Amino acid sequence: MDVALKIWRYDPESGERVLRAYEVDAPEWACLLDVLDLIKDKHDGTLAYRKSCRMMICGSCGMRMDGRAVLACKERMKPLVDAGHVPVISAMGNMPVLKDLVVDMAPFWSKIRAVKPWLDPGYDEVAEKERIVSQQQMNAIHKESLCIMCGCCVSECNSMESDPEFLGPAALAKGFRFVGDVRDHADVARLNELNEEHGIWDCTRCYFCNERCPKGVDPRDAIAKLGAESIRQNVDHDMGAKHAKWFVKSAETTGWLRETELVPKTQGVVSAVKQVGFALNLAKHGKVPPPFPPHVAKDVKEARALRDLVRMQGREGAAGIVQGEHALAQIEHVLDADPDSAPASRIAPEKAGGKSGGD
Amino acid sequence: MDAKHDVLVIGAGCAGMRAAIEAHDAGADVALVSKIHPTRSHSGAAEGGINAALGNASEDSPEEHAFDTVKGSDYLGDQDAIEILCDEAPDDVYQLENWGAVFSRTEEGRIAQRPFGAAGEPRTAYAADITGHVLVHVLYEQVMKRNLTVYEEFFVWKLVEHDGRCQGVIAWNLLDGGLTTIGAKTVILATGGAGRLYTGTTNAYACTGDGMAQALQLGIALKDMEMMQFHPTTLAPTGVLITEGCRGEGAYLLNSEDDRFLKRYAPNAMELASRDVISRAEQTEIDEGRGVDGNVLLDLRHLGAEKILERLHGTRELSMVFAGVDPINEPIPVRPGAHYHMGGVDTDVWGRTTLEGLYAAGECACVSVHGANRLGGNALMETITYGKRAGAHAAEWALTNTTVEVPASAAADAERELNELLDRRDGERPWSIRNELAETMHENFGVFRREEQMQRQGELVDELRERYERVVVDDKGQVFNNDLTQALELGFLLDLASCMIVAGIERKESRGAHARPYDFPDRDDENYLRHTIVRWVEGAPKLEWKPVKLTKWQPMERKY
Repeated sequence: MDVALKIWRYDPESGERVLRAYEVDAPEWACLLDVLDLIKDKHDGTLAYRKSCRMMICGSCGMRMDGRAVLACKERMKPLVDAGHVPVISAMGNMPVLKDLVVDMAPFWSKIRAVKPWLDPGYDEVAEKERIVSQQQMNAIHKESLCIMCGCCVSECNSMESDPEFLGPAALAKGFRFVGDVRDHADVARLNELNEEHGIWDCTRCYFCNERCPKGVDPRDAIAKLGAESIRQNVDHDMGAKHAKWFVKSAETTGWLRETELVPKTQGVVSAVKQVGFALNLAKHGKVPPPFPPHVAKDVKEARALRDLVRMQGREGAAGIVQGEHALAQIEHVLDADPDSAPASRIAPEKAGGKSGGD
Repeated sequence: MDAKHDVLVIGAGCAGMRAAIEAHDAGADVALVSKIHPTRSHSGAAEGGINAALGNASEDSPEEHAFDTVKGSDYLGDQDAIEILCDEAPDDVYQLENWGAVFSRTEEGRIAQRPFGAAGEPRTAYAADITGHVLVHVLYEQVMKRNLTVYEEFFVWKLVEHDGRCQGVIAWNLLDGGLTTIGAKTVILATGGAGRLYTGTTNAYACTGDGMAQALQLGIALKDMEMMQFHPTTLAPTGVLITEGCRGEGAYLLNSEDDRFLKRYAPNAMELASRDVISRAEQTEIDEGRGVDGNVLLDLRHLGAEKILERLHGTRELSMVFAGVDPINEPIPVRPGAHYHMGGVDTDVWGRTTLEGLYAAGECACVSVHGANRLGGNALMETITYGKRAGAHAAEWALTNTTVEVPASAAADAERELNELLDRRDGERPWSIRNELAETMHENFGVFRREEQMQRQGELVDELRERYERVVVDDKGQVFNNDLTQALELGFLLDLASCMIVAGIERKESRGAHARPYDFPDRDDENYLRHTIVRWVEGAPKLEWKPVKLTKWQPMERKY
């Protein structure tokens, strides 16, 4: 098949940045990476991109296709060719471009290092055998363990775009890989560090990382788990934590969000006083419900019962963040294909639990 | 010399990182140098697991593990090396778990173990079907914890021999360009395999046999180079790996007649016979017209969706992306593909090569624990145990010796040679040579080998080498010039192909991965219970022989 695509080239020696069009004859099974190889072989040996395993496990070939981060080895070209679409290929975002599709990963790795990404078992000597850990306990960090450090999530991170110092989805998912590991004994210290500025509460929850991760790691879910776990462990000095806590408290007591109290509870009294003028202005325009007497929602018992259920099931902290939106989607895919082979027992509790974004 | 270290490890996959950690913990100043970032290493693509007689799924013992390995090797493995591997394996696996490896677990919370081909017990410890990935990441975590120096994206091009010792390397800096000389008291090769010699291969683009070829150029012996393993379950056309773990979990292999054909080849072990046996069975079925478009079928459907999703999730993903097949609903088309080089740099049980100061570990080395056929799950184990041993010995040697000297001429000579290549303007680009090499190796030096095809392949490689002498690199720049490094890699592959062919022609028997059904269909212990040794002498490979080390087990007929 004839594959046409455009590539944003960047030559560091001349500083030239230009969009070039290419057309190659590729086999029907070709992925984006195969097409790049054909271009490099037959058209232009100077085209630079990283690659290695070509089977979605080494994480080398992260790049953008039509503005979204992908692994080049995972993207089949045939559907695009059939649709007559000519994709534009460019380097990943949020990282300096070195040449063509190659970015400088050094800032990425320094953020990974910043979360002290190694198990801290609380002692030095090797246990005589393996530690006894149930499969269920291991499953708690299953998705984070899938991460191949390709950088696709970081490329797409909106928070990092405005704050380059934000730890970012990959490093935070790595952080949860240890916080969630029952064998790790530094979870409170880790949570304290991850609650600092540029940490978990600076995530804007745009969910682009979940959307673009090629491995189903769902970094935003990991960040939500870190938030929930922080609150469970009383690591709640950050405004983000206080903000989240107030949502819960408010829902539990009156059944809805008492916005007038949100600012003092989140930012403190001093900050709230400073914003009184703004609040009055809002009130004058009818944008603030009267705070007294507090209005209690009709079905507040339901909200309270939900809280009790969470406590009863021991699902406070990270365990309360339901894993597996991708997994669910996959199971649904199976259901569509062959209803008889669906593992019904796995679906029911996850469906009942619903999704949770963490706040 | 731009930098120097006590121990310099080339390659940062499982063997390299495990060696570096051990050498560091012994007190040496260690650095890793790798042409790709450590977590990009191809160890991460290992799926099924790592073999150790933990006894978590059944009664087991290192001795049983050793016997299975000896038999699996078709008696070409060195039994002293195999015994060391199997004895040290359990503690080495516990160490990985202690570092945080996310192994799958038994009901009792111990490391889970699954059955694997040609193993008498369920011995393969695993992390779902991403065991290699999990190990690479846990080792890199430990590398970061120790703050080891890593020369990332430095392409090692030449080893430096001086004063009868290996004393460092010359590397091309991929990110910034230019040659860098790194001196070291000891150098450990951990550069992996050379699967890129073949079109259909499970191996990454990075697997170009760099370390083996560089050792060869220093006159160091390579051992059993004819022994290239073909994995029975790879996806057409690219050779992406489908793990043996599928068969470990109970998958069937079927031909076009819906027949579990292995009953005619390995009636007892069936799908869990050794890889060489199954690859030959598949190829025979395909050759005799019972294939499906050049493949056989790997059927997982009876395992059920739940088991597939839980234990073979990655396999399902690979199969869906690269073959458009969901194994929950359809069988996966698979065929044999080049997978693992049993041969490599000849070492002793401490990873020492014949050159003082130079060590090798992992797939690039040949200790030899795999002999003529490796068992699934033994490669990861070898990287860990022998990586550790090479690291320990290299550190000890480095700490008792003080000098590092790299003559300035070494860097100057390399610079001149490199410029000669970069300055060449007219000639052939490397890719057609690379493709021809890989296609013809597949055709003429594959699962079954014929004398005349091997001879022809030898001549063909010589022709390709002549063309390679005049090859042209398109990219003349400094920044991320992998057009240059890919050309250099092709040179490595050509040298190794010559070694494999010479050894293959001279081994006039069928043993393990070396199958000659047309002229020498049987194993010949009288004449060939010995290793091939190839050295590079005056621009060509020269063959010698070396006895196999037997300890407890005398060769017997091998049946599964």
